[in-house]
Amino acid sequence: MTTSASHRPLDPPDPQTPCAHCGLPVGRHPVGGDPWFCCTGCRTVFETLRAAGFDEAYYRLRGVAERRPDPQPARTDVDALVLSEVDSAAFLEEDTQVVTPGVRRVQLYLDGVHCAACVWLVERMPQEVPGVLEARLDLPRARLDVTWRPEAVRLSDVVRWLAGFGYVAHPVRRDASARRSEAERRLLVKVGVCWALAGNVMLIAFALYAGLDVVRDPALAGAARWLSLLLAVPAVLYGGSEFFRRAWASVRRAARSRDWRRLHMDTPIALGILVGFADSTVATVTGQGEVWFDSITVLVAALLTARWLQVRSRRLAGDATERLLALMPSMARRLRPDGAAETVRVEDLAAGDRVVVPAGEVLPVDGVVDEGASTVNNAVLTGESRPVPVGPGDAVQAGATNLSAPLRVRVDAAGDDTRVGRLLAWVRDAAGREAPVVLLADRLGGYFVLAVLALAGLTALLWAALAPSEIVPHVVALLVITCPCALGMATPLAMAVAAGRAARIGIFIKTDAALEHLARLDTIILDKTGTLTEGTLALVDVDGDAGVLDLAAALEAESAHPIAQALVRAAGACAVPGTPPATPRVTRREHVLGQGVRGEVDGRPVCVGRPPWVVAQTKLMPAARASAVARFAEQGYTPVAVAVDGRVVAVLAFGDRLRVDSRRLVASLQARGKAVYILSGDHPQVVQAVADELGVPRSQVHGHVNPEGKKAFVEELRRARAQTIAMVGDGVNDAIALQAADVGIAVQGGSTASLVAADVFLTRAGLQPVLDLLRGADRSMRLIRRNLAFSLAYNLSGAAAAMAGLVSPLVAAVAMPISSLIVVTSSILQPTFRPHAPDADEAAVASPPAAAVRPAA
Amino acid sequence: MSILYFLVPLALLLAAAGVGAFYWAVRSGQFDDVETPAIRILLDEDLPPGEEQDERTSPA
Repeated sequence: MTTSASHRPLDPPDPQTPCAHCGLPVGRHPVGGDPWFCCTGCRTVFETLRAAGFDEAYYRLRGVAERRPDPQPARTDVDALVLSEVDSAAFLEEDTQVVTPGVRRVQLYLDGVHCAACVWLVERMPQEVPGVLEARLDLPRARLDVTWRPEAVRLSDVVRWLAGFGYVAHPVRRDASARRSEAERRLLVKVGVCWALAGNVMLIAFALYAGLDVVRDPALAGAARWLSLLLAVPAVLYGGSEFFRRAWASVRRAARSRDWRRLHMDTPIALGILVGFADSTVATVTGQGEVWFDSITVLVAALLTARWLQVRSRRLAGDATERLLALMPSMARRLRPDGAAETVRVEDLAAGDRVVVPAGEVLPVDGVVDEGASTVNNAVLTGESRPVPVGPGDAVQAGATNLSAPLRVRVDAAGDDTRVGRLLAWVRDAAGREAPVVLLADRLGGYFVLAVLALAGLTALLWAALAPSEIVPHVVALLVITCPCALGMATPLAMAVAAGRAARIGIFIKTDAALEHLARLDTIILDKTGTLTEGTLALVDVDGDAGVLDLAAALEAESAHPIAQALVRAAGACAVPGTPPATPRVTRREHVLGQGVRGEVDGRPVCVGRPPWVVAQTKLMPAARASAVARFAEQGYTPVAVAVDGRVVAVLAFGDRLRVDSRRLVASLQARGKAVYILSGDHPQVVQAVADELGVPRSQVHGHVNPEGKKAFVEELRRARAQTIAMVGDGVNDAIALQAADVGIAVQGGSTASLVAADVFLTRAGLQPVLDLLRGADRSMRLIRRNLAFSLAYNLSGAAAAMAGLVSPLVAAVAMPISSLIVVTSSILQPTFRPHAPDADEAAVASPPAAAVRPAA
Repeated sequence: MSILYFLVPLALLLAAAGVGAFYWAVRSGQFDDVETPAIRILLDEDLPPGEEQDERTSPA
């Protein structure tokens, strides 16, 4: 790894000395020597940067703007399939644009960018890579725009250059964000134009309010009114069209279903704007009566602003989904009849083709193993945490990960025809079919229209008795002052602010309804594998002498078997901090397929493997060990025996370890009075063991549930008890259940399908974000309710004043912005989403996180 | 007061120019990313010392 291996005997520095690259203390085993590093990784990066001459500027800029939430860790491995994809003619044709002849532009997602130094490094590409003309990085969205000459440099070289610095690029396929940012830009232009119009109308209105008199200077006053009218026309027609269109749609829907409650909040808004505008126009033309142009134009501009903020806040979540879609394997290695492998797009595969899948890669197709023996992890598909051995003749499915050895697979189905593909297709279709959710504010809309119309009628009656000539001005005043400006802004603003704050702590909210549902939640369904547990095999318990772990790990060090790897990881983690890991010497090693490994370590015969086989090897099994084997098996773990010097000295239990915060999540949920269910595709015994540990009653735990079963369970639960249900999951197997639940929450590290299906997804590890989300949703809904209550109170007092004949255009022009301002301020100041906010109910149930993991010795 | 007949349209013309500039800024994507440009201003164009100022590729 190290490029310059100088072994000068330097005195080790103080352990607190900062590492020259990452700045963390170097500890007792520093690397290098003047400067010192905490590890060889830091040293390698340092030397790469120095060799390229980048070190000075990089270390100067690194501290700037370093506040990206949870940057994706940088990696250096480049996926060979990505490289071949970006060079393929089909990719060039479909996913890149021609700038000028011979020059193309492409967009790439870039993992690992998080600060100013990253921008600097990446944007130096044109100087460093001949053939690249321009590189522009959009840091918040982690998107890189590269303009290059395809005949001078291949895109794969660009990707490799980036990977040299730890930035992993993914091609942007079928880009939908362009359409989205187009809509966003159009709305922003509308906002700008409307504010400009509103500002000018307001200036003219000042003159009118200040005493420009129709009687004393009729020409100037008339001109001012006509000018206001002229400016108000585009504001109402162009800016207001947003509200008219939606109001009209809701009126038609209400008329069709004969249910006035279906009227949307946009209906009273459109009504107020229209009535105010019509009355003012009549007043301008006839020269009699009041004009309301200033109030109307400000109203349109303010409401458009709130709407734009909401659209923008959702952009981050949309981007993140697309980015994850870019990770899906879209290339496969097809075997040609002559035996050579070629990379092709998954869509081009046909049934009967043969593909090669190296160890560590995700299977791109459904098929039957032709050649090779390996273990595959189906957790993404089935939720089963234990890897399954496969050999020739066994069926394998797309989405599973090939763990230990290369496989040749005969293709049965590819793309949308695979089981994963069908699940994804269902999710996609369901997302399009979903009935529009009526939000709290919109539910108020119908009642609001009725109330306003009733009050208008009352006003008309009242003034018909008092002074019939003043009916029209007072009714118009009522309709304008009750136009729900603050009410219309209350929800979108609070939602936008909440979504923005949530995104900053790694919670991405995709739908508006999610927060409302979460605040009303009474049932939560948790997936086990990958959600409550870490989703990877790990050492969970040791019975007997834990000291032999190192011997066993040394023996297993070269094996790719998942249990062997978990053992090696555990042995590494168990080393006493500060001492160099003692690596025992292996002198003899023999693998016995499907049983275990035996050999000689440090001169002692060691045997690691399935308990029956190890016992057969040694004939010596203490009773305590034998009972441990039985106990582990009963708890759903995989027992492994270790024999040293012909005696079984330890039994290790391997399983899918609980996440450290699972217990806290479940306890906290139960303390809040939510019903907690656990559903898993794993073996019921394993699921039961997890549930017992978490304190979930047996009746609410189900194992062996397939993806369709999970969806059916959600639906049945809803039918039975008519509740608001949230589903938390991570796999493809959870995707359709995530979609079927009122709120689907996909945890960090989840599969693509689950992220598409979920309403909320997390990019912060662990389950703490789920609690943060629930708390944030509660606070957001409280804020929204408070905003709505205030706006209604304002409208009510406005209506009362208008009925009393006290509302003039000046009163409306002052009162409306003030009410909106209060709503805006309260939305922005309210800290809805805070990371790790201490909470009363949580303090009561919090248990030390370590209690969730069993001590591993 | 008749000067207003000249000044108000002038003010409106100025406002229209502002709206035009805003429109151009939005269309050219200047509001799409409001964070990176703030960082980019810190990056100087100088090549690291020791390297000569060779042909700077100009964006097409």
